[in-house]
Amino acid sequence: MSELLGQKVGIVACSGEELAEGTVARLAALKVLNELRPRETVTICLPLFLAGGAGDRAFARVHPTITVDGCDLRCAAHGTERYSSKPAASLVVNELVAECGLERPEGRRRLNAAGQKAVEVTAERLARMVDQVLGKKAGTLPPAEASASEPHGEEREVTCSCGSGVPVTKLEIGGKPVELVALPLIFQKFVGLGRKPDEAGAREVFETVKIYNAVPAEAEDSYREAVGREFAAYCQKEQKP
Amino acid sequence: MTPTPPTVVVVPCSGIGKTFGTVSREAAYELCEELRPKSTRLMAMAKLVLGEPAAQDLITRHPAVTIDGCKQMCASKMVKQSGGTVAREVAVLDVFRRHKNLKPEGIAELNEGGRKLARVLAEEVAESLDGMGQGVKGGGHV
Repeated sequence: MSELLGQKVGIVACSGEELAEGTVARLAALKVLNELRPRETVTICLPLFLAGGAGDRAFARVHPTITVDGCDLRCAAHGTERYSSKPAASLVVNELVAECGLERPEGRRRLNAAGQKAVEVTAERLARMVDQVLGKKAGTLPPAEASASEPHGEEREVTCSCGSGVPVTKLEIGGKPVELVALPLIFQKFVGLGRKPDEAGAREVFETVKIYNAVPAEAEDSYREAVGREFAAYCQKEQKP
Repeated sequence: MTPTPPTVVVVPCSGIGKTFGTVSREAAYELCEELRPKSTRLMAMAKLVLGEPAAQDLITRHPAVTIDGCKQMCASKMVKQSGGTVAREVAVLDVFRRHKNLKPEGIAELNEGGRKLARVLAEEVAESLDGMGQGVKGGGHV
């Protein structure tokens, strides 16, 4: 499913503020997102799966995710699986520290030298996992692939302090406002595959829309019609010079 | 003999990618480690997301201070969803609006303005907690 967002992996960190290992998880995730694999990764705060909207809960259905936890509670891994989708891979800092024979990190607010080392090691391991999930050999990624172009016409979710957001489109279906996630990304994908807003194209698009959105069986026809209209409008906009 | 103040659970935003999330976390550390170490207890929001039993128990037995980095207010929502009582609900942006000279920058490491903003926020919360000795009756904005 990662093709929808141009081959990006979602990193979900536990951010456990109570433990130094939580700080390691957060800073390692940040290092991967900002330095090691900035073009290949995006993030979301774990709590947004519960406190956010439909786009946030669809996050792991749109992105393959890698979770990084500080301790054995594995809040990020379990939370992601429970509220969004099963992570593609998971990492636990205290296990990695033991595996690599590192000193235990200390200083949840300001990491000590062992903590800084653990950040480096965790970030490198995470970056390798990103490569594996994307099916690329470690160290062979192009430095700055062009990211997917901005989708058209959607209303983006309000981004939060994690800086993430999956596009959400508001449509009126059966006289009620309905939020559908990832529509512009799905349209973009099918236009790229040469599909047209005819019956066959609209059918394919709708089948994909159903993967990412809950469509009530009794309202399927109305949803199909609304999505078809939206896809036609998207295609028309795409054709304009 | 001074009566022991009630324990207050402090839940900061767990955003990792923006400055205001970092300010909320720094303010929580400042409050729990420096200003009111005996009467506060830091709680990682991830535990509430998971529904970890010890965290659930703690949050239902003690009033909470939530410090949020954005208008999604995840910390506040999570405490309420977990059955807790939000005694003080703080938004970093509101505090920044009152202290615009303290412009926070940086994510992994805050600049001086960010650290001072976190300190000011923590001090305001600490002072408000001092008036909570008689028990918490509903929430309020700092």
